[in-house]
Amino acid sequence: MLDQELQLTLSPSPHLRSPITVNLAMRDVFIALLPITLVSIFLYKWNAVFLILVCLATAAITELLFRKVLKKKATLADGSAMVTGLLVALCFGPGTAWWTAMLATFIGIGLAKELMGGLGWNRFNPALFGRVAVILIVPIFQYFTAIFAPLKPYLGGIDLVTQATPLAMLKQGTLETGIGQLLTWHHGGALGETSALALLIGGAYLIYKKHISWHIPIAIIGTVFVYGAIAEGSITLGLAHVLTGGVLLGALFMATDWVTSPITPKGKIIFGIAIGILLMSFRVLLGPTEGMAFSILIMNAFVPWLDRLTKRPKFGEVPVRKAPAVSQGAKPAVGKSN
Amino acid sequence: MGIANFKGGIHPDYRKELTASLAINSLPIPGRVVIPLQQHIGAPCEVLVQVGDTVKVGQKIGESKGFVSAPVHASISGKVTAIGPYNHPLGRPVEAVTIESDGIDSWAGDLKPPGDLDSLSADELRALIREAGIVGLGGATFPAHVKLAPPADKPIDLVIINGAECEPYLTADHRLMLEKPEEIVFGLKVMMKILGASSGVIGIEDNKPDALRVMRQAVEGEANIRVAALHTKYPQGAEKMLIYAIARRKVPSGGLPMDVGVVNHNVGTAVAIAGAVKEGKPLIERVVTVTGEGVARPANLLIRIGTLVSDVLKACGGLKEETRKLIIGGPMMGLAQITDDIPVIKGTSGILALTDPDVDLFESRPCIKCGKCVAACPINLVPTFIAQAYEHGMLERAEKLHAADCIECGCCAYICPSRIPLTQLIRLAKAEILEKRRKK
Repeated sequence: MLDQELQLTLSPSPHLRSPITVNLAMRDVFIALLPITLVSIFLYKWNAVFLILVCLATAAITELLFRKVLKKKATLADGSAMVTGLLVALCFGPGTAWWTAMLATFIGIGLAKELMGGLGWNRFNPALFGRVAVILIVPIFQYFTAIFAPLKPYLGGIDLVTQATPLAMLKQGTLETGIGQLLTWHHGGALGETSALALLIGGAYLIYKKHISWHIPIAIIGTVFVYGAIAEGSITLGLAHVLTGGVLLGALFMATDWVTSPITPKGKIIFGIAIGILLMSFRVLLGPTEGMAFSILIMNAFVPWLDRLTKRPKFGEVPVRKAPAVSQGAKPAVGKSN
Repeated sequence: MGIANFKGGIHPDYRKELTASLAINSLPIPGRVVIPLQQHIGAPCEVLVQVGDTVKVGQKIGESKGFVSAPVHASISGKVTAIGPYNHPLGRPVEAVTIESDGIDSWAGDLKPPGDLDSLSADELRALIREAGIVGLGGATFPAHVKLAPPADKPIDLVIINGAECEPYLTADHRLMLEKPEEIVFGLKVMMKILGASSGVIGIEDNKPDALRVMRQAVEGEANIRVAALHTKYPQGAEKMLIYAIARRKVPSGGLPMDVGVVNHNVGTAVAIAGAVKEGKPLIERVVTVTGEGVARPANLLIRIGTLVSDVLKACGGLKEETRKLIIGGPMMGLAQITDDIPVIKGTSGILALTDPDVDLFESRPCIKCGKCVAACPINLVPTFIAQAYEHGMLERAEKLHAADCIECGCCAYICPSRIPLTQLIRLAKAEILEKRRKK
């Protein structure tokens, strides 16, 4: 008998747990987003800082509010709301009216995530859902801009206001920004489109930490490049398609969102290729705006079906090996098996 | 030669340094042993002794006529003082024979070697192994002679000795490889002779370079035997993973290693077989790793079967106050206990005492579909979908997702960042599915 008064826990195996929790994984996503965040702040200064802070604060308040109203446990500590908030901010240009970004964050966290049941239950990427929703809503509420605009302090001029984004220039055939500049850093487009290199570093970190796998980013980037190169008849322009318009931000940070992407490797590849084809079709046939966001959201809807479609063969799911015939009384056949 | 590997798996914190450098010590013969009549998979034994009988070491005290069974032997000499149900590591009390020691440790018979390897036939060797009560000592406790008697239409060409010891904390097999390399090679040769197998491989994870070196020395000059370095990853020692890593053969779903021409046994089993063939010695003792942050003096001990865990722990300085969990086996697949008043049995590879924070009770959260369980599952399942289906009462869906193929290695539950008890849920699903199939 136990001499000591020990309270032994009885539970089924396994008895060890990996130290990596959802909170830690979210922290790593935050770290991975740091390079692009810093580049955007470097380029857009206080305008970027302001936009990011507005989105982070809105994300936190929205999540707290919704969980309170829905009478659920607060989950702010898991960090997912903050990641969504930051991602929303990265989807906007520095000149965006702040209340637009706020509305996008509110819709993303409140409707697309919390009303769907919270983290894990949402079918659509919250940040992109919010981003796309405001495209439809904002024109109706244009006059808000006049009311809210004075509430934002003057934070310095923005370089890009009069300039078209690189993607728009690409579309018009007037792209002057070199590939090298697109790769390192450049003004133009949303905060999250300012540096391909910063995004790639962040994505590589997430792959290294095994939080995401290579399948989705490679499938998207590969498809966009090949489609772009063929459609434009130029490898350079194919590359330009990859480096502009949020392809990398989407491929590395949005399409790889755990909850809203397929769980099987094969499903991930199909998902990525489909996003690439949709995006390029939008770019070739329609306007140059937000094709990436729409493509990912459309494919989000296909995820449960893709998961079913790509069920993996279990280990050893092969016909039983036919044993070689053994003559009566002989020793079992020896030698290297087939 | 490359490092053998399989797809999936996890890299837990191994924590083997607690005991890896400690040589095997014999635990002094206890004053009392409790020997369960069932310590193996298969038919339980009928008791052969009565209360009041005197027994000697190695005397058979339980036997079954069933083929899939293994006899049990007295592990100390003395007097039978009780026969009846006693606590068992598997949870439910089992008929057991209690023997009080006479302090002499006298052996039954004269323990002479029954012959040498060349003069004994395969059938004689098999009979010897069965008589010695040898079962799979890795923990599965499947009777060893049964695995060594495949049907004629399943020729075996390869025997694998499992020295992976992929469970964290455990070092019993590691020490055996360092201290009894010749016995392991001899045991392997016995198995190869019985099966007519042309080659033998000893698989060892590469986190045990010393064992790799010692075993390679031991097989020098053996034409048909080699040592394979295995990538250090859990569950490298799982039968299907080990065979795939070493021979690139996939045991078919629902099949057995013999379906791909392989038989594999643990290093401990090889040592026991060597003891039976060389010295006529039945399985009356085994090496157990007593370890964990809760044990005052961790050790690798040679322990007589039936010794109470409480006595073993006492010899190791007792459990620390911080102990929160007592486990028989390793931390990934072992069984938690509510008492230490249980005997060491043939399948007891480790006695493990865990402390906080390893025993923290986690609150699980909704699945975020991160896919870590999918990447970790060595059987290629989608653990989270099976667990979800089972939780929603959709047993048929769980079955379609191959829940019955789960090897319960624990990788999915280990890796899950949402702390969902995936393995535990799938285990329940599997049990219900198998029950349903049996009823059909």
